[in-house]
Amino acid sequence: MDEKIFTRQADTVKGDKSTSSERIVAGLQAMITDAIPTAHHFAFTGVERFAGGLSRENWSIDATWVDTAGAQSRHLMLMRDASGTLLDTDRKREFGVLKALEATPVPTPKAYWMDEDGHWLGAPSLVMDRMPGQCEYLVLNGTRPLDDRLKLARSFTDLMANIHAIDWRALGLGEVLDIPTDSPSRVELAHWEAEYRRVQLEPHPELDYVLDWLGLNAPKAQAIVLVHGDFKPGNALIEGEHISAKLDWETAHLGDPLEDLGWVTNPVRKREHQIPGHWERQEIVAAYRDLTGRTVREADLLWWNVFSCWKLSVIQLTAVAEFVAGRYNRVFQTPTWLYRPMFQMMATAESAHSADSTDCALSAGSQS
Amino acid sequence: MRPSIEEQLQGTCRVLENVVAPCVNDPMARTMLDGLIANLRMLISAYPAVPGFLRQDNENTVQLLATLASSLPAELTSRVADILKMPEPDPVDVAALDARNASLRELLAQAVCIEGLSADHQRAILQHMSKRASRVPMRYVATAPSLPSCEKI
Repeated sequence: MDEKIFTRQADTVKGDKSTSSERIVAGLQAMITDAIPTAHHFAFTGVERFAGGLSRENWSIDATWVDTAGAQSRHLMLMRDASGTLLDTDRKREFGVLKALEATPVPTPKAYWMDEDGHWLGAPSLVMDRMPGQCEYLVLNGTRPLDDRLKLARSFTDLMANIHAIDWRALGLGEVLDIPTDSPSRVELAHWEAEYRRVQLEPHPELDYVLDWLGLNAPKAQAIVLVHGDFKPGNALIEGEHISAKLDWETAHLGDPLEDLGWVTNPVRKREHQIPGHWERQEIVAAYRDLTGRTVREADLLWWNVFSCWKLSVIQLTAVAEFVAGRYNRVFQTPTWLYRPMFQMMATAESAHSADSTDCALSAGSQS
Repeated sequence: MRPSIEEQLQGTCRVLENVVAPCVNDPMARTMLDGLIANLRMLISAYPAVPGFLRQDNENTVQLLATLASSLPAELTSRVADILKMPEPDPVDVAALDARNASLRELLAQAVCIEGLSADHQRAILQHMSKRASRVPMRYVATAPSLPSCEKI
């Protein structure tokens, strides 16, 4: 490949938000050259954009070059912010999390480079190793034998517990992510309320009603842990019977461990996280309790279940706003399908709250 | 008027599915096209129901606001009284029905968050919201990403 051609293309890609494989390759080469000035004789093959991913473009690229260390070859995944996005997240934080996790047993791709402001690729981007395995977002209810699916289900819970067990202070994640100064439930609620107000196009009394309830009933946390923030099979790769990588760390933050548990036990997403009759809410919570030794109060978990639905509602409203603004290319509707499950869980939580006298909740940070 | 709106939307879906989609090889573009077709099909059945839904919802929301009025702060009570005095829009003027709906729901959004509402009022609010959620005509249609893209990861 002609380096001069790529250099010229790299000049034109700066600040250009449009997407084409040529522009992506040119930007990537420019970024690598900036990071490794001695790199030359580049070749990029297998350049392909994947269809998955609602908030980012995912590009698969095989790259080779030569530098002072010799011939280099990488199977890369480039994740680039889409022009319209459902999640307004920070690439620097995500890059910091991925770099920190390289020192842990949590299977994550090695992160190579970050384009924080889109200088090289036209939009903020991360470049990392392309890990082996397949993305199967409904794997727990797919065609695999029940025993295999149950093993995977347990592996997902193990993985969640492992993420929550990470010593984030020792890894320096306190400098990368904000340490909650209030109860994590209140911090997350404030964050997503701001998002809600930012994207709201019309009145939603139902969401205001639920928001009010969430504010009045926010639980305290037992501990501050690294929370993935979108823990699901669809954000993992599976190779054979094993989870080969946990992906999509853009919503990772320091918070309440029940946030991830509330996300996976959210009844509206049963098909992704549960196996009917075998691996349901009760089994997931029991496994998590056994793995972590933490008490899980039903009222607190229900709060996080309601919060999960409410957060999901805000993400869908973001999609609506972005579509209306002409920046997002998929049509979403107001998430009315989430309202009744939220109302039902709120009622159950209030019953559970009055029935459950166990108060194991400590102030946020007391065990941090 | 022929072709009717429904016939035009049905025909558009047919052409997109049978003529356009087979020529779209890019997985991302195909996923988006599948989603757009699914949404168009949803609209074919949902759109005719929108005016009726708005008329009914305006009526129900007016009733609920009237029920809650005695428990609301003076300023909100006054605004509720003002909007309740306004005449209902022309039942076939969808834009006017929609604007009225937004005004009523803006007041409702404030009313439902007022502290100290009675248990009866809370029940009335939840009943109203649950029924409305079950009647909303336009709903998101989920479509899976085209499979080859996932398998290549």
